[in-house]
Amino acid sequence: MSRPVAQSGRQDLLCGLALALVFLCAPFPRLQAVFHVMLILALAPRIGAPLRTALWAAAGGWALEGALRLYPHMGGTPWADMTVALLVAWIAGRWPVEHLKGWLARLAALAVLHTLLVHGAVRLAAGPHPWGSGWAWALVTLPLWGWVLWRLLYAGASPRRR
Amino acid sequence: MAIRASNWGWNPAGRRRYALILLWTGHGLWALFGQRPGELWARTAGLIARPAQRVASGWEAWREKRREQRRSYAELQAENARLRAQVAALELGAAQQAPRLTETDEAERLLGLRRQIPLQLSAARVIHSTRPEAFGGLILDGGREQGLMPDQGVLVPEGVVGRLWSVGPTQSKVLPADAPNASLAVMLARSRATGVLQGLGSGRAAIRYISNQEVVQVGEAVLTSGLDRVFPRGLLVGYVSQVVKGDLELRVTVQLSAPLDRIRLVLLLPPQPPLEVQEPFVAPEQRPARKRGTP
Repeated sequence: MSRPVAQSGRQDLLCGLALALVFLCAPFPRLQAVFHVMLILALAPRIGAPLRTALWAAAGGWALEGALRLYPHMGGTPWADMTVALLVAWIAGRWPVEHLKGWLARLAALAVLHTLLVHGAVRLAAGPHPWGSGWAWALVTLPLWGWVLWRLLYAGASPRRR
Repeated sequence: MAIRASNWGWNPAGRRRYALILLWTGHGLWALFGQRPGELWARTAGLIARPAQRVASGWEAWREKRREQRRSYAELQAENARLRAQVAALELGAAQQAPRLTETDEAERLLGLRRQIPLQLSAARVIHSTRPEAFGGLILDGGREQGLMPDQGVLVPEGVVGRLWSVGPTQSKVLPADAPNASLAVMLARSRATGVLQGLGSGRAAIRYISNQEVVQVGEAVLTSGLDRVFPRGLLVGYVSQVVKGDLELRVTVQLSAPLDRIRLVLLLPPQPPLEVQEPFVAPEQRPARKRGTP
C-alpha cells in the first residue's frame, strides 16, 4: 500500500476533520466511536512517519477520553490508540494492501484488536468500565467508511476500474 | 520524515525516534502508574496547601458567622416589627372592645339588680345626655312604642337615677334626681325620718322637711320612702354629705350614689310600683364606717 507524498497534506486534513468530529460528536457516543476508530485505524497511520502517526492517534485518544469524561484516570485510550496506530502503520508498510476487500478485512480485524486493547488499557488505567456499543457501531459501519477512505486516500478511482 | 533503522544518533530522525519512544512510553507509564503518583502529588499538594486552607476556612467561617449574625439580627428586627404590629393590633382591638366590655359589665350588674327587685323591670340604653344644659336630662332609646310612660322610676345598680319626665314615640327623657326641678320622696336609713329630695345639680341634692329634732349623721344612707309612688321603699338614693341645723328643719345635703354622668344602661320600674318590694338594700361596700362614740 504505497502512497504518494502529495497526499500527506490531505491525510492531515482528514485527520483534523476526524478529530474535530470526535470532539463535536460528544453528545452522540456511538457516532463518536465510529469517527474515533476511523481516525485511529485509517487516517492516523502512515508509513514511514511513526511520530506523526503517534501524535494523531494520541490526539484522537485524548479527544475521546476528554469528551467522555467518564474515567477517574485518563490516558489509557491514547496509549492504546498510539499502539494500534503504530501497529497499523507497520503492518501497512510491511504488507501493503492492494484490494478493497483486503483493506476492509484488515480494518475489521484491527478494529477488534483496537477495541480489546483500548478496553484493557482503560481497565489498567482507570479500573473496570462499561463496554458500551460504540465498537459494534464502528464494526457495522466499517464497510461504508472503509470504502470512503479507500477512495479518498489510496485508490482515487475504484480499484476495479483500474 | 521517515525513520531509518540505522539512525540512532542525535539527528532529526533520531530525535523523532526518541520523541516517539518518549511519547509512547510516557503514555504507557502514565496510563499504568499515573494514578498513584497522582494521589501522592495530591497528598503533597494538600500538605503544602494546609496552612492556606486553614486560613481560608477560618476566613470563610468568620464570614459565615458574620452572615449568620446579620441574618439573626435581621430576623430579630423582623420579629420585633411583627410583634409590634401584633401589639398595636391587640391594643386597637382592646380599645375597640373596651366600650363593649364596659357595657357588658353594666349589663351584668343590671341583671343582678333586676334579680334583686321582684318587679317587672325593663332596660333601656342612654343614647344622649343633656345634663350640662339647664333642665337637662338623659335621653333613653325607648318610648311609648316600648310601653314607657311618664313618671316611671329609673335606677341603676348604684342607686336611683330619676324618673321619666317626657316620653316620645321612640325616645324618652329622664329627669335626674339632681335636677333643680326634680323631687323624690326619701327617708333616712337610720332615723327613718322622711323628707323630699330636691336636686342641687352636679350629683347633689337636698332633703327638705326634716325636723331639726332628728338626729342625722353624715354618711347616713338615704333611701326611697315609696311615698311618691314612683319608687318602692328602700332603694338607695345616696349618702348624707352635710347636715346643717336650721330654724325649723335640718338642711341635709345628699351626695347621690348613681354616677349620673357615666350611665349607659338603666332599669325602668313599672308605673306606680307597690310600696314595699323587699328589704331595703344598701351596697355594703358603700356603707360609711360608723365613727367611734357616735350612736
